[in-house]
Amino acid sequence: MVGLINAIPVANKDEYKNVGVYIEHRGDDIKRSSIEMIGIGKQLARKINEKLICVVIGDKVDGIAKEVGEYGCDIVLAAESPDLAEYRTMPYAQIIGDYIAEYKPNIFLLAATRNGRDLASRIAVKERTGITADCTVLDVDENRTLLANRPTYGESTLAEILCRNHRPQMATARPGTFTPAEKEKDHKYEIVKKKVNVDKSLLGKQILKFIPKKATDLTAAKIVVAGGLGLGGPDGFKLLQELADLIGGAVGSSRPPVDLGWITRDHQVGQTGQAVRPDLYVAVGISGKPQHIAGMKFSKVIVSINKDPNAEINKISDYIITEDYRKAVPALIDAIKNFGKQKVAEAQKA
Amino acid sequence: MLNIVVMIKQVPDSSEVEIDPVKMTLNRTKARNVVNAADLNALEYALRIKDKVGANITVISMGPPMADAAIIECMARGADRGILITDRAFAGADTYPTGLTLAATIAKLGNVDIVFGGDETTDSSTGHVGPGVAEFLGIDQITYAKEVDYEDGYVIATRDLEDGDEIVKVHTPVLVTVLLNSNVPRHQSLRKKIDAIRKGVESWGINELGLKPEWVGLRGSPTIVRSMKAIKEPEHLHKTITLDKIDEVVADLVSKNIIKVGGK
Repeated sequence: MVGLINAIPVANKDEYKNVGVYIEHRGDDIKRSSIEMIGIGKQLARKINEKLICVVIGDKVDGIAKEVGEYGCDIVLAAESPDLAEYRTMPYAQIIGDYIAEYKPNIFLLAATRNGRDLASRIAVKERTGITADCTVLDVDENRTLLANRPTYGESTLAEILCRNHRPQMATARPGTFTPAEKEKDHKYEIVKKKVNVDKSLLGKQILKFIPKKATDLTAAKIVVAGGLGLGGPDGFKLLQELADLIGGAVGSSRPPVDLGWITRDHQVGQTGQAVRPDLYVAVGISGKPQHIAGMKFSKVIVSINKDPNAEINKISDYIITEDYRKAVPALIDAIKNFGKQKVAEAQKA
Repeated sequence: MLNIVVMIKQVPDSSEVEIDPVKMTLNRTKARNVVNAADLNALEYALRIKDKVGANITVISMGPPMADAAIIECMARGADRGILITDRAFAGADTYPTGLTLAATIAKLGNVDIVFGGDETTDSSTGHVGPGVAEFLGIDQITYAKEVDYEDGYVIATRDLEDGDEIVKVHTPVLVTVLLNSNVPRHQSLRKKIDAIRKGVESWGINELGLKPEWVGLRGSPTIVRSMKAIKEPEHLHKTITLDKIDEVVADLVSKNIIKVGGK
């Protein structure tokens, strides 16, 4: 507990070195979002010739620690205890706080998953430092200052936020923002393992049950085929699924179909859903409310299929098909299926 | 009787925020101010606990004087007391001093069993203030709760995580952040609204909380915004396509290597 006290600038900033990343996992699986944070963390560390230090906490974490090293981390701090088998805020925050006090990282990053957010600002307050949430661009300058860029409301403006005098400089990024690190052959790393005795006073939270659910991670999809109120009912999503399956995409939704129960919430794109930036976004029967656009407007190519020629989403679309989707989507499916054949037929004719 | 604090924030109504059709930016100035939607879900769970076992519910909010309307609205839904934390010194705060100021308010109230808040606000959506307050107070937390119940000194809640639902049980005192849309907030009652206006909203400033001016607001914020720039958005073709020309779309996507055709 930090007490009711102010954030405090550090006396000697040079004491703080290296880039720290918190690694989130469920059992033996590292979250993809944490591999993304290794990716950006490594990039920042190497730019200023510093080390990447990752923190892994759990019951048995040897396998994960090794994998983190293979992704290009230089020092893996592994804390083990049977009491740490499941993520709990209090003991995890304590251990990370202890590591920060010992290793004094200049920068500390976490993925903005729900448990990542649960932990992030708690650690920032514990360390009496600043934190910038949901960064989309992270860089470091020659003074080793973290340049944390985050979109402000509605993603129309990018704010560059600095934490000048407090350390570590902390930031989070939403899943899907950065490219995951790739494993590096022959990368040398060190694992510093520690058996922890967790203070019983930190173990008050009882986890009664965990019910896994199948979640659609749209942030990893290169293609998203999304439907809106214009689908007219849940059956429309079957057609979208057919198109998505054909081109290796995932099915998304604007908010109204989710609220109406046509599709589950894990498919929702937008401000209160997932933010995506795929290569292709096919918006079917989506009018384009600002809340939806905020979650998909960085898609490379946008195709809008909508009966309304004045749908807002058309203003940010590459291809606008003003048709009933029941006609347009099958036509698109056919065109994709027959595209190659046609070419071959033409070539044969010639 | 239980003492419950609900932290709320007044925000521009995101469903009324208009899009500027030329600049494709959001125009906030026309929007009405409302209670942040998830905060109403948090208040609803507090009221359900009050209905079940009895509780004193105090709604607190840090904001400008006009934010008292948001607090009155919460009292009209059933909260017993409202405190507006307002002082020019609090302006420009990032999440650290915001959490500190709210925690100082809760500490001054004393003997609080459950602190509620929304999972995040629609205007900055960091989700960082709740856990920050819990750390300042040194209490445990339950974030992203979509079901919340209270029984014999424990809060039992379901946390909505990306890969599953986690059911947890924590002894009070505890801070709970509630997921947006996790319940249907009850309506305001006219009688309660009249009572609320009669009772009024208390106003606490920096002196009441015993905080130093350099600890709060912009001065107490470890982060600063160095610059703001418009985000360069991808250029789009804006090409209208009729169904007989749909091949053009496919050809473009194939040439950009976005989709593959011609068999799997």
